[in-house]
Amino acid sequence: MERSTGIVTSQGQSPLTKEWKDTLAGYAFTLPFLILFAIFTLYPIVQGFWISLHNWELVGTNIQFIGLSNYQRLLNDKLFWSSLEHTIVFVILSGPVLVVVGLLFALMLNRKIRGMGVFRTLFYMPNILSVAVVGLIFARVFASDQRGLINALLIPLGIDPIQWTLDTALAMPVIALTTLWWTVGFNTLVFLAGLQGIDENLYDAAKVDGANNWQIFRHITLPSLRRPMTFVSVLQVIGSFQVFGQVDVITQGGPSGATRTIVYYIYERSFDYWQLGYGSAMAFVLFVLLFVLSIVQLRIQEKDA
Amino acid sequence: MTTQIKAQPNTVTFQDKSFFQKHGKLIYMIALSLFTLFWMLPIIWTLSTSFRPEIHIQANLAKFIPEPFTTENWEYVLRSSKIPRWLFNSAFVAVTHTALQLVICATAAYGFARIPFKGRGIVYPIVLAGLMVPGQATFIPVYLMFSDWGLLNTYTALIVPGIASPFAIFLLTQFFKEIPVEFEEAAYMDGATRLTAFRRIILPLSLPALTTLAIFTFLGNWNNYLWPLVAATKDEVRTITIGLRLISSQWGYSDSYGKVMAAAWVGAMPIVLFFFAFQRRILSGISIGSGIKS
Repeated sequence: MERSTGIVTSQGQSPLTKEWKDTLAGYAFTLPFLILFAIFTLYPIVQGFWISLHNWELVGTNIQFIGLSNYQRLLNDKLFWSSLEHTIVFVILSGPVLVVVGLLFALMLNRKIRGMGVFRTLFYMPNILSVAVVGLIFARVFASDQRGLINALLIPLGIDPIQWTLDTALAMPVIALTTLWWTVGFNTLVFLAGLQGIDENLYDAAKVDGANNWQIFRHITLPSLRRPMTFVSVLQVIGSFQVFGQVDVITQGGPSGATRTIVYYIYERSFDYWQLGYGSAMAFVLFVLLFVLSIVQLRIQEKDA
Repeated sequence: MTTQIKAQPNTVTFQDKSFFQKHGKLIYMIALSLFTLFWMLPIIWTLSTSFRPEIHIQANLAKFIPEPFTTENWEYVLRSSKIPRWLFNSAFVAVTHTALQLVICATAAYGFARIPFKGRGIVYPIVLAGLMVPGQATFIPVYLMFSDWGLLNTYTALIVPGIASPFAIFLLTQFFKEIPVEFEEAAYMDGATRLTAFRRIILPLSLPALTTLAIFTFLGNWNNYLWPLVAATKDEVRTITIGLRLISSQWGYSDSYGKVMAAAWVGAMPIVLFFFAFQRRILSGISIGSGIKS
């Protein structure tokens, strides 16, 4: 590091080296951010773990240190395990479909025809709606009895109304379908970017060699989409693991807990039962799970790059 | 008669390959339009329902054209509900949050990108690790902090958390690093300070990145769900997102279908208009942000 351009203080004593000047300036620029980051990101991680070691029943009252008891309780909590199971079911139900449909939509919209931009915009549009709007709409599309759109369309055809969100087997697929409609546009855009990056000479060469459409897709398009594929898949798993809003608006975890996911259970325990210590223990477990998933993501992307 | 029969081979039949070759684009666009219409049915249906009289909705739910047409549901929502207030809350919170995030994160990102300060090599990776911390991991302690400060149910609670965004730092630091140092060095020769170099050179050159970040920050904050759900439970500070959650459960399904639909679309309208105003930037932001396309 250069030290030559140090300035001299008014006392004419210790010269303020460039190194120290930079350090002062560096913190002057970054300090407001660092303070907020420490208060609202770093400290809450530590504090969250600390809370999870307590019986922290109601806000501000009845706080008692109980060590790892909350984690012990968690191991024996059937609702926790079922919420983990529901979350994994949701990830499996929604993930592959979202990736495949996203890719299909991208192929569908990857044409050089005037006006294609309008369709891209329209297919992405649901993504910018809040989960409350999307949930409100789909709660009514899939409402049970005669109160929902799909049943209202089925009844004239002589089909009995389906108890969509009241049926333990159908409620989670409804959440997954809602999520598909809401978020697939994002995956579509990522795949579109990937498709547009493919060298067109590859296609021409394949056609000259007499390859059919399927062969071209299988041997040129698909391998070229490896990066968007991993990007979308990993993001999908991490995002789906945190599913909450759709469940909260459409089913409130029901029927009989069939759509109670991890984040929903954390919310329920913490803000319906005010068991903040126990809720924090679950939140910490979720945090560790997602942190590991994120590191796996980074590893995969590094390998890809 | 005979001439007509003779003419037939020249007219279009579906076996004729040239028909598809000639009109392939047109057929494709028609098929795509029909599918798009199908995909948009939830939007078409809810919008249409919001403009139908309640008695007619109750008689026939599955109608996609508002006939007869009424604005009574929209008028009710705009005049007699809390939705306008919640919209104002959302707008105020999202705009303030975005402005503060831009100022604080751009300033810090300049520090990380350009100033070799002591500790940068430790601090910056820690900030980036913050990318892997989901909101659910921190919302209970943050809730208790605001509770201790007596700041639940305030705009402050809705605005401040999330201002220090590791994603914003990552994005802007990368962007600032791409700008040639020579621009600033020339300014330093003219006696400029770091702050002037940052304000006069870096910021104007980063306008595209800053705009894209602002758009996504605004969208993210407006649509935020879990935090406003726990932090703002009073009508005066409630955001539209959480307000619509309340309406979805409280107005029910039986006698105010049209009002619920009108509420959803009044509530969604600002963000829909925002989307169409900035659609180019939003769409390209995702392509570029995903790192697939540069």
